[in-house]
Amino acid sequence: MSATRVRDDEQGSRTGLRLLIHDVVEIGVGAQTGFAGGRLTVGEREATALFAHPSLASVRVSCCSPGESVRIIKVLDAVEPRCKGDGGDVFPGLLGTAQLRGRGETHVLRGAAVLSAGFLPRAQEAVFQMSGAGAEFSPLSGTHNVVIEFEPAPDAAWQDVAAALRLGVLRLAVHLAQAAVDAAPDSIEELEPLSSESSGLPRVAAVTNIQTQGAFKDVLVYGRSMAGSLPTWIDPCELADGAVVSAQYGHPALKNPTFVHQNNPVVAALRASDEVELAGVILCPEPVSEKEKRLVSEHAARLCAALGLDGAIVTKEGGGNADGDVALKLDALEDIGILAVGLFAEMAGRDGTAPGLVVAPARATALISTGNYDELVALGATDRALGGERLGIIDAAAADELELPIAAIYGSLNPLGWNRVTCAVEA
Amino acid sequence: MRIVHYVNQFFAGVGGEEAAGTTPDVREGAVGPGRALVAQLGSEYEIVATVFCGDDYAASDASATEELLELVREASPDLLVAGPAFTSGRYGLACARLAAASVRAGIPAVAAMHPENPGVEEAAPAPVIESGKIGREMRASLQRLAGAIEKLARGEELGEQDGRVGRPPRHNRLADQTAATRSVELILARLAGDRERTEVLLPSFGSVTPSAPLEHPEGATIALLTEGALVPMGNPDRLESARATRWLRYPLDGLDRLEEGEYQSVHGGFSTVAANADPHRLLPLDVARDLEREGRIGTLHHEYLTTAGNGTQVATARSFGVEWAAELRQAGVQAAILTAT
Repeated sequence: MSATRVRDDEQGSRTGLRLLIHDVVEIGVGAQTGFAGGRLTVGEREATALFAHPSLASVRVSCCSPGESVRIIKVLDAVEPRCKGDGGDVFPGLLGTAQLRGRGETHVLRGAAVLSAGFLPRAQEAVFQMSGAGAEFSPLSGTHNVVIEFEPAPDAAWQDVAAALRLGVLRLAVHLAQAAVDAAPDSIEELEPLSSESSGLPRVAAVTNIQTQGAFKDVLVYGRSMAGSLPTWIDPCELADGAVVSAQYGHPALKNPTFVHQNNPVVAALRASDEVELAGVILCPEPVSEKEKRLVSEHAARLCAALGLDGAIVTKEGGGNADGDVALKLDALEDIGILAVGLFAEMAGRDGTAPGLVVAPARATALISTGNYDELVALGATDRALGGERLGIIDAAAADELELPIAAIYGSLNPLGWNRVTCAVEA
Repeated sequence: MRIVHYVNQFFAGVGGEEAAGTTPDVREGAVGPGRALVAQLGSEYEIVATVFCGDDYAASDASATEELLELVREASPDLLVAGPAFTSGRYGLACARLAAASVRAGIPAVAAMHPENPGVEEAAPAPVIESGKIGREMRASLQRLAGAIEKLARGEELGEQDGRVGRPPRHNRLADQTAATRSVELILARLAGDRERTEVLLPSFGSVTPSAPLEHPEGATIALLTEGALVPMGNPDRLESARATRWLRYPLDGLDRLEEGEYQSVHGGFSTVAANADPHRLLPLDVARDLEREGRIGTLHHEYLTTAGNGTQVATARSFGVEWAAELRQAGVQAAILTAT
């Protein structure tokens, strides 16, 4: 931490985050972890040791790259390998103390992801594949992936298994990024600090709803659940350092993996535009009762007003229930003069003719479609599968040719706008 | 052009609610509104047969559509016309399902009903033409329907200008930009004053006015229903835990309680631990039996209906609602307690 402070002082008041990007172009399991010339080697024994926990009997480490004939089933989470270059931890509250992060330097293995896959209760089976028909529907078919399969310890409580697995995946993500700290980065991204002075451009924030439905359907902010909380403002640089970690295993197409919080797509798109000023992120819980949804929505709108926003982009996590959280916020925002856009996945039936939204806003009308959840997708057979032997939802062998609703494809309809799928009337 | 016309028991002249259980049947030529329809069409159009069915049977019997389609096939028509069903939910669903099945079987079809009829959502791939709300608007409704029939006969597509309602099918595809990038473009457009631009049109769900309370619950038959996916242990009929496409019925006869270990919830949207430990949290059979014994309600319906309300599309849920209402009405139930999770 002291190193950071010195450099910050040297640079005056700059307190943004510098991302040192190392491009991963090849991946494999080997004897020792290393990163050279774009090749990431995952040391099998080092990786396995990071999962040593009384609740886990064993783990298996595999790798797969874009174009390989591999399907991954029962995907639980995906994390981008990152570590601090100047001391301190990423994933605060889980791997280190729950202190504010988002300053100094962070190394990123771009083009790589660490995934966990296997059975957990309440986890809805998520599927994607690295090549063949249907691969194009998951953004993770384009990354070099380390996949962790696991065997729970006998008699271990499932919640402990999930927590042990989550910690192991985060540790492995850090461990892999640490292999690159001495390598010259391929590129550098400066995440500028948010300005308190108006630039004259419209101020727009990302209002990011996160699921809070208890065990196996929760999201951790600095290591703790947001269930019962009111909305809070967070600096996007904190997200880049892993302030938000997914512990949510429902809704394959409609969940926000840790990877997506590290790389919040709405934040990235706002940063990329030279016509708006990014005004930060409002994190909001998604309570289950309508009364609480209304309370959280009104507070979120009030916070947006206090930030002097001109506009907000509202996203969700989860199925139909979570449509309500977006709809209420869109209306609450527009009622106080802050223009709002909402991202929705549609549930329009297999033939795409049913009304797409379960709960629609009454007054706000600017909506983005991340695709129709019910439409079927054909997946070509693959040579091998990771994550399990059989797919329970349709009772098929894991590597078979099959047809599934796109709702089962991991990340396909990502509510934070990660992917390109949309739904439209054919021209 | 040979047309087969589908109407319900009322418009076939068989009877009102008391005849709602009428099974599928057929009459030669046009009947009731069919005669008025033919009068609107040119002489080259003929209604060769009228197929009909009671509303309750059509909406609650799983085989009804197939039976009706068989009667349609026997008349070997060039076109099936169903309705107009106005706002009648059971009639609308019957028209929509028969029209959809007919198109799938290779017989062109068109249905007519009010845009708020739940049948509108089930008619695809068959087109639906707007009708009025009530039977008094028959004349104007038939006029519009006749225009649509003539256009279909010329091999033309029906559009909004013909009174076509319902949503055209929407399909998934890959956009050039991510949804996040498109959302920033959309907020910029909105900030610049464009209030129309959107990728999703708002649906209109309508609203349901709850019935008045029962005046004499002590004389009423009450049903227990749940969307909490409560099924016998082991889920013998394999109810889906999400995106349910069907509902199930299980007996309550002779049961005073739902014992732990004999029932389970397979709902995928919440933690089922508490419900499995005490199934009455989903289906309050215990207190309902107490009320029955105390004479505060008449009798409890002899079975409960269940489905999983999790990620269910609105159109499916609406059809379940119409089917349950028809089912319960036929069974003489006056009120129902539907528990939601």
